[in-house]
Amino acid sequence: MLNRKIQPIVNPIEHIDLVKAEKRMLSNGIPVHFVNAGTQNVVKIDFIFEAGTWFQKSNLVASLCNSMIEEGSENYTAAEIAEKVDFYGAYIQLTVDQNQGFVSVVSLGKYLPAILGVMEDLIKRSVFPEYELEVLIDKNKQKWLLENEKVRTLCQKKFTQVMFGDAHPYAINNKLEDFDLIKRGDLMQFYHAFYHSGNCHIIAAGMIDEQVLGLLDKHFGGSDWGHNQVAKPEYEICTDPVKMHHVEKSGGIQSAIRVGKFWVPKTHRDYHALSILVTIFGGYFGSRLMTNIREEKGYTYGIGSFVLTLKQASYLVISTEVGNEYVEPTLAEIAVEMKRLQTELVSENELETVKSYLLGEFLRDFDGPFALAGSFKAINDFDLDYSFYDEALKVLRNITSAELRTLALQYLNPEDFYTVVAGSK
Amino acid sequence: MLRVTGSEFRSNPQPATHNSTMIHFERTKLANGLTVIVHQDKTTPMVAVDVCYNVGSRDEHPDRTGFAHLFEHLMFGGSKHIPLYDEPLQKAGGDNNAFTSNDLTNYYLTLPKNNIETGFWLESDRMLELAFSKKSLDVQRNVVIEEFKQRQLNQPYGDVWPLLRQLAYKVHPYQWPTIGREISHIEKATMQQVKDFFFAHYAPDNAVLVVTGDVDFDQVVKLADRWFGPIPNRNVKPRNIPQEPEQTEIREQTVIRGVPNDTIYMAYHMSDRLDPMYYATDMVSDVLSNGNSSRMYLNLVQKEKLFTELDAYLSGDYEPGLFVVSGKPSDGVSLETARKAIERELDRMKQDRVPEYELEKVKNKVEANIVYGEMNYLTKAMNLATNEILDDASLINSQVESYREVTSEQIQEVSQHIFRPENCSVLNYIAKK
Repeated sequence: MLNRKIQPIVNPIEHIDLVKAEKRMLSNGIPVHFVNAGTQNVVKIDFIFEAGTWFQKSNLVASLCNSMIEEGSENYTAAEIAEKVDFYGAYIQLTVDQNQGFVSVVSLGKYLPAILGVMEDLIKRSVFPEYELEVLIDKNKQKWLLENEKVRTLCQKKFTQVMFGDAHPYAINNKLEDFDLIKRGDLMQFYHAFYHSGNCHIIAAGMIDEQVLGLLDKHFGGSDWGHNQVAKPEYEICTDPVKMHHVEKSGGIQSAIRVGKFWVPKTHRDYHALSILVTIFGGYFGSRLMTNIREEKGYTYGIGSFVLTLKQASYLVISTEVGNEYVEPTLAEIAVEMKRLQTELVSENELETVKSYLLGEFLRDFDGPFALAGSFKAINDFDLDYSFYDEALKVLRNITSAELRTLALQYLNPEDFYTVVAGSK
Repeated sequence: MLRVTGSEFRSNPQPATHNSTMIHFERTKLANGLTVIVHQDKTTPMVAVDVCYNVGSRDEHPDRTGFAHLFEHLMFGGSKHIPLYDEPLQKAGGDNNAFTSNDLTNYYLTLPKNNIETGFWLESDRMLELAFSKKSLDVQRNVVIEEFKQRQLNQPYGDVWPLLRQLAYKVHPYQWPTIGREISHIEKATMQQVKDFFFAHYAPDNAVLVVTGDVDFDQVVKLADRWFGPIPNRNVKPRNIPQEPEQTEIREQTVIRGVPNDTIYMAYHMSDRLDPMYYATDMVSDVLSNGNSSRMYLNLVQKEKLFTELDAYLSGDYEPGLFVVSGKPSDGVSLETARKAIERELDRMKQDRVPEYELEKVKNKVEANIVYGEMNYLTKAMNLATNEILDDASLINSQVESYREVTSEQIQEVSQHIFRPENCSVLNYIAKK
């Protein structure tokens, strides 16, 4: 007889296959890390340069320089690059973060030889045409205007400014006027300083065989695109002494909230255990914050807590958008949930749930070529090796409620947190 | 981690498959009418369980819109024998999400393969019957209202789709968005209406179960029989939706909103998803705006600098849908100039045939996108499920061929048919100065 009240037997996740990235060097010393996996003949290659906003002398330079890379090179105009990429059904993705600039390409394996020829020219010999730059700036201005209408953008900007201080590269403080100060020469200078073989590493995922590695060496392994290494500037974090901030955005009916504090780096002994604590707090659908503030009270469509780990600093942030009338109650409940973690032990049942959930996430993080490449990048950026994940698994399997409460007492004191609310008061 | 809901699909939402890498699947139907589809993928340690119901916002009463989507939220508020949905799933290492469209409601979860049975247990119990708890209804009403604000009311350009749909459809229920026409419809939802909606639409004979991953057909059928087999067939009535009469004159609406830039939207009625011309129509949008080498981008954004953003895409609806062109004119360019420039490109599609090379390029791109879409067991499950609800899961294996067969003549013909002024609804979205 079928008993629908009882859950079928749950089998513990005992084995996780931590497939590791392999390493090769191109002839000029560029490291290539690659994951050969997947069922389809698809390849994704990331050319990664230490060329993030950290290295720019004025706002927008790193991102506009990066975006301009596909806008014309010595042998191809912007239109010809677009034509070739589209013809082969490939995608170029250009992104920057605080530390790195990425030139990524996704392609069917069979078209990679043709695509890499184009990629070589635009990565090594980009020419930054004036006309395309004007078009790009106009496009980005409009995007900026749109983004800065959103309470979540205003809130995140202010939050990073409060945490790091306006002058720090981890603070987002770009202004509309910054676009008018952009000069082609500055972008080219940035490109020549940072986009070169001495400042590059490559991560490749998908069907990566000897032929693909050979192609990479052919196009990017030469000594023709090296330059002198540029020194990394130093910045100091200047956190605002005021803990509570409001950004006025009149007319809105919802407010965005960020509540956060500095966090431990990936190398810290508490890092893994704290990741479990943050998951219980607000890191999955069944988390304390979601259960209380969405599922019990209905104040929001979603709320979560995340740890952002950057090279120089890490922070924990709780992020949500709520109706204006729910701002105060939401802030109060966030503090209540911290206090609960500090005073009550997480039940065996809840701990078991979150452990299983995180083990499932582990399986997902190591399933498929792109996930495998992502898991590699998450350690490689911090000069860690795969023992990081062995350690994470060990902590996950052994953590106790008492340890979590001790950590909460140390790391989740409501009075340590910075709060930014953006919306209409 | 948010449940994705109420979103409109953008162009080409249903990737098909590449003819050289067919997705093999097996299919059967249980006695109660539930269709079961299995695709084996031995490369993943996970399985996906996807349950897709043939109910969307098109099935709503005009005075009770947003119901299908509200319902999606309620489906996580406990079922007849299981008070909590998420917790036991998480205990088994699982994760889940769901979305509602105009046409269907799709629930999907992933699990380590040795815990697959928990997925069957959870999904079958909520197909059998919900808990119908008052508390869940009260809270989810509020959550959906906050979602309504977050997506539509507190978002620049958030009301574009509702306005455009209302302009283009006068009779068909596609005139309202999945989140609902107005907040009051959600506020007023009663428990009796919730129950009626459930028994009218949530039934084995109105759903598809798709399982992908390292599983075999017999194992899945056995589990499906065990857990879904006992659910009664509910004799779901075939839908009877009023069809939109042909539009006979151009419609135009102008609104003023607190947004940074003026924007123009032009929506043309087009075929349904099963019409043989659908593929040609999709390729019209690709020629116009898929990629930086597409016509509208190259000519109007890059060369003439008339726009900073310009897109052409299909709504992707199952019944006759919309072909939409939307553009943000550059500073100093009037909406009138912008509109004329768009019409010029559309006229070219009507007058001249797309050259062979350009056609080949667009086809290559379609084919590559299809391969990219097949890299993941979960996407494959969702594509099988949504195509089966549309008509037949095997469409995912014939679509590449259907795109490959499109000719320049058909593209011209479909352009001439669609891009007529009297078939167009124009929304002028003006920035408050």
